[in-house]
Amino acid sequence: MKTFEEKWTAWLDGELSGKELVEFEASLSDRATAEAEKLEAQKLGALLKHQLVSRTMGNEDFFNHQLRTRLNADTPEREISPRRPAWSIGRLAWAGAVSLALFFVSTFFVMRQKEPADQSQYLSQILNARVDPALSPNATVSIFQAKEDKVTVLWVDGLQSLPAEYAAK
Amino acid sequence: MQTEATPAEADVSELDLVKQCQAGNADAFDQLVTRYRTRVFSMIYNMVHNEQDAWDLAQDSFVKAWKSIPRFRGRSSFYTWIYRIVTNVTIDWLRKKQVKGSGAEFDDSIALKAVDPASRTVPKADALPYERMEQSEIRARIDESIAQLSPEHRAVILMKEVEGLQYHEIAEALGCSIGTVMSRLFYARKKLQNLLRDVYENV
Repeated sequence: MKTFEEKWTAWLDGELSGKELVEFEASLSDRATAEAEKLEAQKLGALLKHQLVSRTMGNEDFFNHQLRTRLNADTPEREISPRRPAWSIGRLAWAGAVSLALFFVSTFFVMRQKEPADQSQYLSQILNARVDPALSPNATVSIFQAKEDKVTVLWVDGLQSLPAEYAAK
Repeated sequence: MQTEATPAEADVSELDLVKQCQAGNADAFDQLVTRYRTRVFSMIYNMVHNEQDAWDLAQDSFVKAWKSIPRFRGRSSFYTWIYRIVTNVTIDWLRKKQVKGSGAEFDDSIALKAVDPASRTVPKADALPYERMEQSEIRARIDESIAQLSPEHRAVILMKEVEGLQYHEIAEALGCSIGTVMSRLFYARKKLQNLLRDVYENV
């Protein structure tokens, strides 16, 4: 619902039409006075338009130059303020995760490589066999076998005498 | 729309220039400034009635526009958008000036009477001395009358009568409803008719 002021303004500017125009003009108590006022408003508009026409600026180029200088002065500030730090939290988190992953992968490979080294290159088998408790009560026999070299060493310790049947022929 | 663009510059669409500005191209912004500086300056001058103040406020408006242009979405024309900035900057300035209670608004218009006839502010450079004086007096009367309006009423009447903007464009520029624009126009016209009747009846 338009107020009287809104309808009056629209009427002055020729923005009312159709039913709205007819209704508004019918509501005017003194049509002649209203028309006179409309004419006055048009004269006022013409006066303002004629007198307040766009002014030409003096030193137009200097206006641009001065503005450019101000913008240049503001630019570093404008650029610095929104710039994100080189190492944002997100980037730090990613870098941390990647570093951890690399650490675990390299540890895994290093451990895997070390495992065979921890193991003796000789496959030892301690038999703890006693040759003859009566003859050599403290004698033990151990066998060391290097599979790669296909060598087997028999280590006998505490043997006081070699049984006759073991004698080399 | 009045612009100062050369034909070559006019080939570059306003939207392209805006996009370039949004990418940080200050040269593109310079072109936009060249297109609209006179209208912006003129609009501000008609509100503040002082050339130096109008210059400074036009500068402030364009600086603000440069800072805000990344947020310009193109829902309105660039000119309507910058008009909003201009009117906000100018109305704020006028309000602050009124709060300070300097009451100096009329001093500026009085100074206009002593304007240098050779300056570019005189409408007709080849006018006779008495014509120039008469024009200056009329201009001073208009400025005095406009100065009696609130900043919002000044903006509305100038946009409508001088700039020829539509109600919806004024509403957009001022950030108010069309009804408010029409209502302000009603009161601004009534006031100016009372103050300037003898002027427009005798011109």
